[in-house]
This record gives sequence, C-alpha cells and structure tokens, in this order.
Amino acid sequence: MSATALLQAIVDGVLTGGVYALMAAGLTLIFGVMDIINIAQGAMVVLGAYLSYELSVHAGISLLPGLVITVPAMFVLGMAIEYCFMRRVRESDRTAMSVLVTFAVAIVIEGVLSAVYGVDYVQLHASYVDKSVYVLGFYLPWIYLIAFGLAVALLAGLYALLYRTRFGRAVRASLQNRTAADLIGVDVSRTRTIAVGIGVAVTAVGGFAFGATNAFNPNSGYDLISRLLAIVILGGMGSIGGAMGAAVLMLVVNDVVAVAWSPTWAPLVFFAALVVVLSVRPQGLFGRVGARAQ
Amino acid sequence: MSALLEVDGVSKAFGGVKALSSCGLEVHEGKINGLIGPNGSGKTTLFNVITGYERVQEGRVVFAGREITNARPDRVFGLGIGRTFQLTRLFSRLTVLENMLVATQRAEGWLRSVVRRAGSASERRRAMELLEFVGIARLAAEPAGTLSYGQRKLLELASLLVADPSVLLLDEPAGGVNPTLIGVLADRIAELNRAGKTFLVVEHNMEFVMGLCHRVTVLDQGTALVSGAPEEVRRNPAVLDAYLGGEDSEPAAVLDERRPEPRPAAVGMGLRLRPRPAPARRDDLLELRGVYAGYGGGDILKDVSIKVPAGEITCVVGPNGAGKSTMLAAISGLLRPRQGQVSFQGELITGLPPGDVLALGIALVPQAHSLFGEMTVRENVEMGAFTVRDQALVRRRLAAVEELYPIVRERAGERAASLSGGQQRLVEFARCLMLEPKLIILDEPSMGLDPQTRAVVFEMIELMRDQGRTVLLVEQNARAGLKLSSQGIVLENGTVRLTGSGREVLEHPEIGALYLGGGVSVGLQATS
Amino acid sequence: MRRRAPALGAIGLAVAVLGLFPVVITDPTATSIAVFTVIFMVATTSWNIFSGYSGYLALGHAVFFGSGGYAVALAARDWHFKGGWDVFALLPFGGLIAALIAVPVGLVALRTRRHTFVVVTIAIFFIFQLAAFNLGFTGGTSGIFLPIASFSAATYNNPFYYVGAVILVLTVIMSWAVRRSRFGLQLLAIRDDEDRALGLGVRTRRVKLIAFVLSAFPVGMVGGLDFYFVGQVYPQFAYNPLFDVSLALMGFLGGIGTIAGPLLGALVLEALQQYFTQTFSGSGAYLIIYGALFLAVILLLPQGVIPGLAGLWRRWQTRDARAAPAPAPGALP
Repeated sequence: MSATALLQAIVDGVLTGGVYALMAAGLTLIFGVMDIINIAQGAMVVLGAYLSYELSVHAGISLLPGLVITVPAMFVLGMAIEYCFMRRVRESDRTAMSVLVTFAVAIVIEGVLSAVYGVDYVQLHASYVDKSVYVLGFYLPWIYLIAFGLAVALLAGLYALLYRTRFGRAVRASLQNRTAADLIGVDVSRTRTIAVGIGVAVTAVGGFAFGATNAFNPNSGYDLISRLLAIVILGGMGSIGGAMGAAVLMLVVNDVVAVAWSPTWAPLVFFAALVVVLSVRPQGLFGRVGARAQ
Repeated sequence: MSALLEVDGVSKAFGGVKALSSCGLEVHEGKINGLIGPNGSGKTTLFNVITGYERVQEGRVVFAGREITNARPDRVFGLGIGRTFQLTRLFSRLTVLENMLVATQRAEGWLRSVVRRAGSASERRRAMELLEFVGIARLAAEPAGTLSYGQRKLLELASLLVADPSVLLLDEPAGGVNPTLIGVLADRIAELNRAGKTFLVVEHNMEFVMGLCHRVTVLDQGTALVSGAPEEVRRNPAVLDAYLGGEDSEPAAVLDERRPEPRPAAVGMGLRLRPRPAPARRDDLLELRGVYAGYGGGDILKDVSIKVPAGEITCVVGPNGAGKSTMLAAISGLLRPRQGQVSFQGELITGLPPGDVLALGIALVPQAHSLFGEMTVRENVEMGAFTVRDQALVRRRLAAVEELYPIVRERAGERAASLSGGQQRLVEFARCLMLEPKLIILDEPSMGLDPQTRAVVFEMIELMRDQGRTVLLVEQNARAGLKLSSQGIVLENGTVRLTGSGREVLEHPEIGALYLGGGVSVGLQATS
Repeated sequence: MRRRAPALGAIGLAVAVLGLFPVVITDPTATSIAVFTVIFMVATTSWNIFSGYSGYLALGHAVFFGSGGYAVALAARDWHFKGGWDVFALLPFGGLIAALIAVPVGLVALRTRRHTFVVVTIAIFFIFQLAAFNLGFTGGTSGIFLPIASFSAATYNNPFYYVGAVILVLTVIMSWAVRRSRFGLQLLAIRDDEDRALGLGVRTRRVKLIAFVLSAFPVGMVGGLDFYFVGQVYPQFAYNPLFDVSLALMGFLGGIGTIAGPLLGALVLEALQQYFTQTFSGSGAYLIIYGALFLAVILLLPQGVIPGLAGLWRRWQTRDARAAPAPAPGALP
C-alpha cells in the first residue's frame, strides 16, 4: 500500500469524519441536555435523505437549496418528538428507557418510509455528485468537499450558538448544573426542547451528505446509528468536542483499514476499537468519570 | 482494649475539597464506639473508605491485624464488617424476608446458589428469629418498599446480622426515627454488644450517643479531634467549638456598629465598603405561618412559624436533620408545603415555582456548589441576570457587583471550577446579587471553608445587609451566624425551639444541650 | 397453602393447552405461527432471566440467536446430518456455542454502567452482523442452508412445535428455579440497589455474568430451531435488530422481571406480528404499528400487564387486612 493511497485514505477519512462529526454532535447534545440516547438519529438521517430526495425528484428543488427546507423541517420534528415522547420517559430509569423509546421512534420512521418509498435503493443526484477535483495529487470528490464544508459551517454555527448567544448559555448551563440553571431562571424545559430540535436538525445535512454518497433505503438507518453510537461513546457521552474528535478519528481509521486491509472489514474495526476502548476506559476517550453535576 | 478495626492516616479529597485529612480512628473490640462531628466533617466518607466504597491513595485500614485498605465492599463484608447507610437502602421490590436472604452466612458455590432454593430451612428460621429480634417478623412477606421509615431502619440492621458480622458500622441509625423506636434500637444494639459484637455508630442524636457508647471520637474537618469516654468528650471545649464554630481570629463583631474602616480580612480581598444607609423600617419581609412540609414519607417541618424582618440578617441554626434545608426549600419554591402559608411582602407565595419566586425578588444560594464549572467567572456572574433582557442594565449591574467583589474582575476569564471553595462561594454571592434581590437566602455558605475564608464570607453577608437587603441565613457555624444576626431562630426536629436576638439565642443555656445533649452552657467568651 | 391450588391448576391447564394444541388445531398456518410463538416465548423468558431480573437492558441477544442458528447449520452440514429428528440433537450444541460466546461478550459489556451497557450490547450485535456478512465460513450474504426435514407434509410443523414446547417448558423451569434461588435474589437485589448488594457480600460481577451466560443458552437453542424450521440462515435474518427490540417489547408488555410476563408478552406480540405479516404484505405499515405499539407500552404501561394485574390481585387480597382495626397504641410502628 503506497503512501499516496494511505494519505488519500486519511484525507477521505477527515472529510467524511466532518459530516459524521456533525451528526454525532447532534446526538451527544441531545444526551447532554436530556440524558437520552437518541437511537432514532440514524433513521432521522435517512429521513433527511429521503426529504432531499423527494424535493429533488418530485419538486425540482435541487439538493443544496433543498436544505433550506429540510433543516427547519427536521428541527420541528425534533422538537415534536421531544415534546411528545422524550419528556414522558420516567426519570428513574431514564437513559435505558430512552433507548427503547427512541428505538420505537426509529421503527416508526422506517415504517413510514417503507410504506411511501418501498425497499428499493435510491441515491441523491446532483451535477457535482460524481465529480472530483484533483489537488496536489489527491482526488477530492466535490460532494465530500461540499458536505465537509457544510458540516464545518454548521459546527461553527453550533459553536457560535452555544457560546455567543443567550440561548446557548442556557443550554450549557442546563448541561453543567441543572439545579443552578433552574435557580437563575433558565426555562430548562423549553431549552431542552429547542436543544433536541437542533440535535435533530443537523441530521438533515447528514442526510444530504449520506444520501449523495451512498445508495440508501429505509433500512439504512441501522448502520448509521451503530457508527454514531460508537463515535459518541468513544468521545464520551455529552462531550461535543469529544464527539467531533472521535468522529474524525474513527472515520480515518475506517478508511485507512479499508485501504490497508479490506473494505469489508473496515466497519468491524470501528466497533472492535469501541469495545476495546470501553473495556479499558469505560468513560470513553474524552469523557470524565461522573463529570456532570446535577 | 485492642483496636479491632483501625484507620490510620487516611486522606481523601473530592476535587478541591478535602473530606478526610490524615484521619485516624480506633474501634475497640467488644465496645460500642461512637463517631460524632459537625456536618461535613467526613463521617460518611470515613465509613465509605472503611467499607471499600471509596478508594484512598494515602493511609491504611486494618481489621483484626490484616490490611484491608481499598478492598472491595463485598470482600469487606465477607471479612465480617457490615454497614448501614444514612438514608436507608433496601431492596424495595423484594419482600422483607427475601431482603434477609440476600446475604449469606457462609460463602456458597455459584452452582448451588443457582439451583437450590434461596435460604435453607435453617437460614429461614434464623432470618425469622432476627426479624423477631428487631420486632418486624409479622411483616416478613411484605415488599420492603412498603415499610415505614423506622421499620426500614430495623430491617437494614437485621439484614446485616444474617451474616453474623463481628463489626457493625451504623450510619445515623436513629436519624428521623420516633422516640419510642429510638429506645428499642438502643436496646437492641446494647444486647448485640453484650453478645460480643463491636459497633461504630455515627449519630447526631447526642443522648443516643452519650447514653449508649463506651467511647466517642469526634471528627472535625476530616480529622479526628478527640477520643475518649462520652462525658469527657462532651465537656471538651474544642468539641463545642467544632460544633458551634470557633472564635474568629479577629475581635468579635459587635452588632449594629458602623465600620467605616475596612477590616483586615476585607483589605486582603481588596474590598471597599460604603457607609450603611439609614436602617429600614422593621417590617417583616417574609413570614411563615403554621407550615408543615416534608418529602413523601412524612412531615419534616411541623407547624413552623417565623418572621423575617426587612433589612436585617436572620440566622437559622439547629442540629442536623432539624429541617433547616427543608424550610429553605419550602420558601424558594422547590418544595410545596402540605399545610400553612408563606408570604413575602404581604403577598402569599406558598407553593409558587422557583422561577416565580425568583422573579419576586428572592434569591437562593444553595448549599452545594452551584457554579457552572466550565463557564468563566464572568459568565457565571452574568448568568445571574439571565432573565434580564436589557444588556446595558446587565453591564451596569456587573460593574457594580465587580466593585464589591473584585474577584469577579480579577479572575474574570478563568474557568469557575478552578477556583477554591471559598472563592466559588463569593462568585455565587456576586451572581445572586445581579438580580438585585430583596431577600437573599443562604444555605450554609461557610461550610467546608477554612477560618480565614469564612471570615470574608461573613463580612460579605453583612455587606449585603448594609446595602439594604434582607438575609435569611442557615448556618452550621452557629456562633458566627448568630453573632452577626439581629434575629436567631433555633430549629430542632422540625419545630421552632427558640427565637430571639442573635446574642440572646447564642447565650441561651439550652443551645449547648441542643447540639451536644446535656446541660452545658455556652456563650460569648471574654472578648465581648 | 391455599394460594397454591389455583396456581397449580393454571399451570396444569397451560401445559395441557401447550401439549394438545397441534392435535386440536391442525391448520398448518396456525401451527406454523405456533412454532414461531413458542420460539419467541423461549427467547423472551430467557432474556428476562438476565435483563428482567438484573435490570440491565441487553439489546443484543440476537447475537446468541443467530450464532446458535449458524452453529446448528454448520454442524448439520459438516457432520452430514440428513434432516429429520436427528438435527434436533444439535440444538443443545447451538445453545452451548451461544453460551460460550456470551462469556467474552459479557465480560466486556458488563464492565460498563447501565446506560452504556445497552449501547455496548447494540455495538457488539453489529459486530456479529458484520462478521456474518464477511467471514468466509458463514457463507456470506446467502448464508447456509440447513437440511430439509423429512417429516410428512400434513404434520410437518408438529415436530418443530413439540421440540420448541419442550425447550419452553425447560426454560420456564429454569426461570422459576433462578427466581426462587439465592442467585435470583441476588440478581433482583442488583436491580434494586447494586451498590448495597455489593456491601452485603454479593459478588455482583460474577452474578451478572452467570445470568448473562445462562440467558444465552436457550436463545441459542431456539435459534437453531428457528433456522432449521425456515431452512436457511443468513446474516440479515440471523442478526436482525428487530429481534432484539422484540424481546424487550415482549418483556415489557407482559411484565419484566416476572415469570409469566415474558410468556404473555411473547404470546400476544408474536401472534400479532404473524397476523400483520399475513395481512400487510408490505413491511411499512407493519413497522409503523409495531413502533407505535412499542411507544404506547413503554410510556403508558411501564410495568407491564402482569405486574399491573398482580398489583390489583394483591390489593383485592389485602382488602380485609386493611379494614382491620388499628394496632394498640404502644406497639411498634
């Protein structure tokens, strides 16, 4: 395996890692604010992809402009799911029960998509999807660049939101010390709803990127959520920075293994790494033991 | 008299807080050993260290000559040391009898434990005997979750006895239990002791401890202060100091005096004082009438009526479990009183949610540290004015607060979690002032702080009063708290036992008895 | 002792129904549904031995189901089994393989806290699914074919049913034995308060692992049975995330942590599932209803049907005691 191939794999990994970072950030944000593991995040990405598909194929709105519709749509969906289901999970066993609840939501989403679109594979198309730009000896597919650019822009936007706005401070306060947030007048309940909305809204962009680079059908959510979970746990549940770092790391490892060893084994290494890291460090790479104050 | 269980030089810190500091303890065989000390002195942490729930890097725990430092809890139990918890822990969904059968007398091979029925006939007999012994045998088939509080305590004790431990560590066995039952408990413990069992009992109920224990050790600030026979310990002035708060390093502050010069400690923090405005009218800002409140199980507060005059500092003191925090929760909206009324500025606020209470001008600084650790000091203080939309107003208030608390300006960009406990407290004060509250409620602000920082904290509390605010203070450090208050209230077992001016309450003969049991008179020393 | 008689009667009736079912109802569709129902009843009861009693939600038991299936398929092929009653003898082998796999899986997964545990079991499940797709000896996407059983066409389903029924009875007995044993008590204690259990001398790590391995064995066996019945084992089918979720749903519906609960839940749900597969040929509507039902159960009926009924039964039974006069003053509270 040549150095070029290796470097290409690393570059690919970083680019796709950026998109996964965005989706994983959404997942870990939901966990941080709600103590809920959103198993439906994968299905929502697929839903986002189908929304883009619907707009591009049946409404003539091409992929990128379509995001203007799909992102707010997913935002509203996220808030609705928080309001209707997530907040009704009992406090006592919250995180474990949330897995079941969100799994159920994922199943419903899959069912709706199957009913509407059947089980055939589709893919998102646009003029730039199959083209690459050749830079410094590397092929950089346009779609990856665009997706990566979007992901970075959104992550920057998320960062700005969290650190420069009043709402963002409310979210961080709820994340760090719920009681204190309550005591200074933060409307914790409303903050949570909006935070979940944001966490889900990012899946619209993930759907665009995923759908343009992979053939997908309603069943594709499982593969996605399994990777996202691995990333989020590796990065430490509730740590957005950790999720981002882990995403890039895992995808680079994935792509390098695919090139160096075999493409079929690459995803396996993903999970095996997760299992190994957790055996040694149960709080994940970047998580702190019992970090969050209540 | 040999030490069956010995703790030597153990230190344990949680983040910046030192819970145990080179702590040593001897538990003498065949005796009932008592462990007392003020809130936050490290008693439960010590239990956790002995029984393996907390690991330590420094120090040793030795049992019957063998070192058991950092052994896992199941192994510690297997060696013969059993413990109860401060808040009873039972297996609520199992029946009382099943609770008794979880522990085994002898180690059992795993295959047998799967195949055979839980508890052989002889084990069940023994379990029933033990249940008889504590008096709850008739409840054997009931789910443990349905037991009353006192019955739970008895079950917790009984379930330890199944394995016939040689040492029993009891964490507040009499806590929250009615007087009849306390007597029963004491009898049972004495009986078990006569049968040869060694006890180490943590308790706040001084009559219980003094009446039952052969030896008592006093823990303060994570280290053992004094050990000896109960009467000796009770009369030791250092012990009294530990409970009521030591004398400050500077001359005692006299109430109602103007202090135009900055005080030594204040200079160290770079504080400037404004002259005190004319005293406000002595209206009652806050009033509780006939309040009964509790959490699920029963009432912790029983018929509590207090008045908090405007523009003054009122201090509430009382032994542990008296209901002080419950009272604060009832005022600030975290707990809804079952009965009774809370009124603020003449308007009823009983049962309002915390957000509304805050909007009315009541700010609470809770006991546990409540800063947002990952945010900067400045951000934390700004968050205090979260509900204020006008940014210019927020900036003005921040500037005003920075005048009073220069630490906010000095450490503005640092992560709040990196500050010491005392500094965090001051930032918390600064934060609560951002909304310019009329009433400030402080829950044990000086807990866990060293004397120097405590002095500063108390000065800042006086400053709040000087600025025309009303302060309701709950203090473990009764001396310091009462010294600066114009009104003192003593709460015990959920009822108001004493009210009066700060000094009156402090000098009242009963106060020593309330804390230490027995009629010791306590008062201001020669400095006043 | 009075309460025993009705319980024994109910059990006797249930066993009778179990045994006589294919004799009375001969319609092959019905007996086919019965085979799958029995399989799920075993799997849910077995899953409950671990997750229900210990409170650790395991969402990866498909690992044992599929592995048992592959083990039986591979053994039947490589050891030249002809197809007929002899293949059933391989089922314990499938169970054994599943149990052996459960040891390392359990050792890794049980190191984590409860909520991470759920996710780790899911992750391990995906590892197995991927491995099944990619490892040579598992036959890739098309999987492995099992020998066709040489049973008469009219009563083809019956041998499968009866073998499943026998496994069911044995599994229920195991569940009952665990529940009444000290081991079971310790599991339940772990569920209620793991730290305190530790303080009472319970070797929690060992107890959890043993329960995990025990719960894998029957699932492996019925995995083998299931794929023998179907005739083929392939990755999507063997390692199906819906299977994991179904066990949890069935457990919760019936009442997690009880003995009868998983049985009831599996009975109701599998029958429903099969009905849907017949009526709604497309998978979409079926998934929607399934998911919606799941949500309803989790959010509205968190204790499940059986404990709800048990609570009512207990209240009815103690109505006399509650009407009794208060104890004399001076007695202990």
